[in-house]
Amino acid sequence: MKGGWLGRLRDEISQAWTVTVKDMKVYYLQPGMIMFGFLMPFFMFFSFSVQRDMAAAQGVARLLAMTVFFTAAAAGPFIIPLERRLGTYDRLLVSPMSLLTLLLGKTAVGAFFAIGSSGFALLVGVVVFGVSLAQPWLLAGGVILGAFSFSTLGLIFGSIPTRNPGDVQMPSTLLRWGLLFISGVFISLADMGIFARAVAYASPLTYAQDLMNHGVLGQGLINPWLDLVVLFISGVLFLVPSVLMHKRSRRLGY
Amino acid sequence: MNNAIEVNNLTKYYGSTGSGVLAVDHINFEVLQGEVFGFLGPNGAGKTTTQRMLTTLLEPTEGRIIIHGHDLEHDAYPVKRQMGLVPEESNVYTELTAWGNLMFTARLYCVDRVERAVRAQELLETFGLWEKRDVKAQNFSKGMRRRLSIAMAIIHKPALLFLDEPTPGLDAQSGRAIRDLIRQLNAEGTTIFLTTHQIEEANQLCDRVAIINHGQIAAIDTPERLKQTFQQVQSVEVALEPDGQAHGQALEALPGVTTMVKMGDKWRLYTEDPSALLPQVMDYARSHELRVVSLGTLGPSLEDVFLEITGQQVGTVRHEAQENKSQQQGMRGRMGGGR
Repeated sequence: MKGGWLGRLRDEISQAWTVTVKDMKVYYLQPGMIMFGFLMPFFMFFSFSVQRDMAAAQGVARLLAMTVFFTAAAAGPFIIPLERRLGTYDRLLVSPMSLLTLLLGKTAVGAFFAIGSSGFALLVGVVVFGVSLAQPWLLAGGVILGAFSFSTLGLIFGSIPTRNPGDVQMPSTLLRWGLLFISGVFISLADMGIFARAVAYASPLTYAQDLMNHGVLGQGLINPWLDLVVLFISGVLFLVPSVLMHKRSRRLGY
Repeated sequence: MNNAIEVNNLTKYYGSTGSGVLAVDHINFEVLQGEVFGFLGPNGAGKTTTQRMLTTLLEPTEGRIIIHGHDLEHDAYPVKRQMGLVPEESNVYTELTAWGNLMFTARLYCVDRVERAVRAQELLETFGLWEKRDVKAQNFSKGMRRRLSIAMAIIHKPALLFLDEPTPGLDAQSGRAIRDLIRQLNAEGTTIFLTTHQIEEANQLCDRVAIINHGQIAAIDTPERLKQTFQQVQSVEVALEPDGQAHGQALEALPGVTTMVKMGDKWRLYTEDPSALLPQVMDYARSHELRVVSLGTLGPSLEDVFLEITGQQVGTVRHEAQENKSQQQGMRGRMGGGR
């Protein structure tokens, strides 16, 4: 082996990036990704925001949180079962890279998709609604770490041992919708009761929404550093069930 | 010669051990470095399950796999670097071009930047795809995708190549090109593990074959030695005119004929003693004023050996065919059609 562990690390990073770039080329323009990833948050935002008394900045903060959440979590459940069905996932599994490298490569696919889509949403907010950003660096941190965390969340569903994307879409959509309603996106944390707020704190989307509020509105209910730390840790923790389910898939033969 | 693959007590249950489905049942075999090893078996015998365990895609329930001296369960990384896999379905990325598919795989196997371009060009030229290098694989025929899939599997020059049913569904020309390529790769030193149910293909390509049936290795040897083991399936093949097809039952009744199979316009008469049967066939033709269009003796084919080992006795096919035919005739009669 060339270069010992340092060489191996360099190879693994390069392999993860190779997987990411390939998936970006192959899947970003697929109808499933555009529908469930890109268009869905916009449709949802408009259906819940039209004719509501809401400031433009508040609306943009919500749109950003929804966009990051939906687009990042869309990639895993769409791509992995599809690749399993086409047999192309086997090509990745037999190649000389660790499972973690493969999963990180797949995580980046969803994360970049989310970062790109939220950039577009932000552009709409700034250009069309004239919104200005209170704390751009917090917003950037929220988008990046939110994209990472929600992409690894999507990966959990993508790791379910099945070759049928339909088997995965339903539970993943159910969870995403559920989280959307309990995470202070449509009803702000300040307006929630104690029990509802306790539930909201269990959702990583709550922290992403809070960061968007800090970034766009300049105010949130939670310390922004705590938001960042929670998003990072949840992203790392979400990788664990994915790894375990991949091991189970290997036992079952998927 | 060193072993490329050593399989010890390999077992796979789908579902829980004991109550699940036993797909592979404590098999043992070795594949020597530099040989073409055929893995034959009927559908559901455990071929693909075994191959998936050998390529790390499936976790064995029990047993040990050593490839190039590395235990696959605990030290898979160096094995994966030296291994290529061509699965049954051509798993190319249809949205990428032929060139894009090769570049992706080369990067995945960490082939140097300069080397991967040279190697990709070399492979595309060898496989007759160079002119189509910028065409997306979704516009390729099945044969072209197959060739691209093989090119992707060997871009990193693997020492061990697994091929799962490489030629079924391909036209004769593509099938032949792939068999030639397998020979060439083997001549260059690549060990080939060929999973197939194409017996003639295994006969032409393999140094040794293993026949798996009901999850167990039923036989393992060179094709010629396996054939010698089954001398009872020698045969005499004869074509008679005129109306040679009408004489099947009479030919089957000749002394020494164990089974008979219709082979197009010929009859194949299985016997343990072809030299005793030959004059009887000639006498029969003479006494019925038939012209012998062709007459020859045949040793057991690998297909005969395979059918004997897997419990599908030679002649079963004929009887099944006859039963199907009479069922179809009966059905036609009931439907009022056919004459």
